[in-house]
Amino acid sequence: MTSRVFLALVAGASILSGASTSADAQTAGENTRAVPAAGTSNVPNVPEPVTAPTDSARSYDARALRFESSLGNVRIIRGADGQLVGTGGWFRDTELEKLVATSPNALAQARLYEKNNFRGSLVGTVGAVTSVVGLVLTTNSSNSAASPALIIGGVGAVVWGVQHVNMSYSALSRALWWYNRDLPR
Amino acid sequence: MSRLLLALCVGAHLTLGGPAVLTAQDGNYDENALRLEGHNGDVRIVRGAQGTVLARISGFRTTDVAKLVAPSEQAMAEARIFSHDYIPGSWIAGLGIATLGAAIGASRIDDINRAIPAGLTISAAALLIYGGGRLQNAYNALARSIWWYNRDLTK
Repeated sequence: MTSRVFLALVAGASILSGASTSADAQTAGENTRAVPAAGTSNVPNVPEPVTAPTDSARSYDARALRFESSLGNVRIIRGADGQLVGTGGWFRDTELEKLVATSPNALAQARLYEKNNFRGSLVGTVGAVTSVVGLVLTTNSSNSAASPALIIGGVGAVVWGVQHVNMSYSALSRALWWYNRDLPR
Repeated sequence: MSRLLLALCVGAHLTLGGPAVLTAQDGNYDENALRLEGHNGDVRIVRGAQGTVLARISGFRTTDVAKLVAPSEQAMAEARIFSHDYIPGSWIAGLGIATLGAAIGASRIDDINRAIPAGLTISAAALLIYGGGRLQNAYNALARSIWWYNRDLTK
């Protein structure tokens, strides 16, 4: 009787583990690799269990996004291989909304990124030009009261612009975080 | 017969422990995944959907990022690149700004050799470019480090 119970236990387990293995095989692809598990290698007639990277890790490896910057430009990179999927920067759209469209939270942050990046770029550039004009007027010994006002106003605009560009990068970081979070697992 | 049924159920229950892991992974990412956020000139390493601030990086101060991302080997390797480049990059860029200030000051002195402000300006530009490049490398390595850390959370 005990052996029957044991047999039934094994049968139940093997049927279900068989089902779960075939489900894994649907998604495992060619990366499946056999790894001898500790504690089972000395057991005779027991097939070595096949362990594979989980679906979530595979999906993340292939599809998760990150960003890197280079001379004020943003590069959006996909996956462990580092595939470049978008570039952006001053007044240039990264098309981030399209990239992260599958995740509602990421999409909201992407809109925030694009809004703040455009405003910051615009006001920062206007501020920098205004400051330079003010400096040139001051250097030419102009006694106009406008020169200090231009410099102060310009610096203020640059600070505002940089702050907004900074905020846009935070929104970009959150957008990619949410996108990666919502990758199918 | 009922014993057989019970044993089948126990076998099934033991084997079906797996799907609970997926839920744990979701929670794991929501609670533990890192990202970078900028705030008033500093960069913060933030954890989870709640946005708990774990570390601040600004000026000449940084944190041991390798310790934060410790379970992941590749994340730690990138964190070491960050640590290697960030502090030297900050100092060199800071020196470049100071040299630029000296160049502007020197250029306003009437009877100074013109080669001095020119030399200072060129040095400042070189220091700023080199220091800026090191800082950029550092931040990109930090971004990769966090990517790898989050990737290994999903395993």
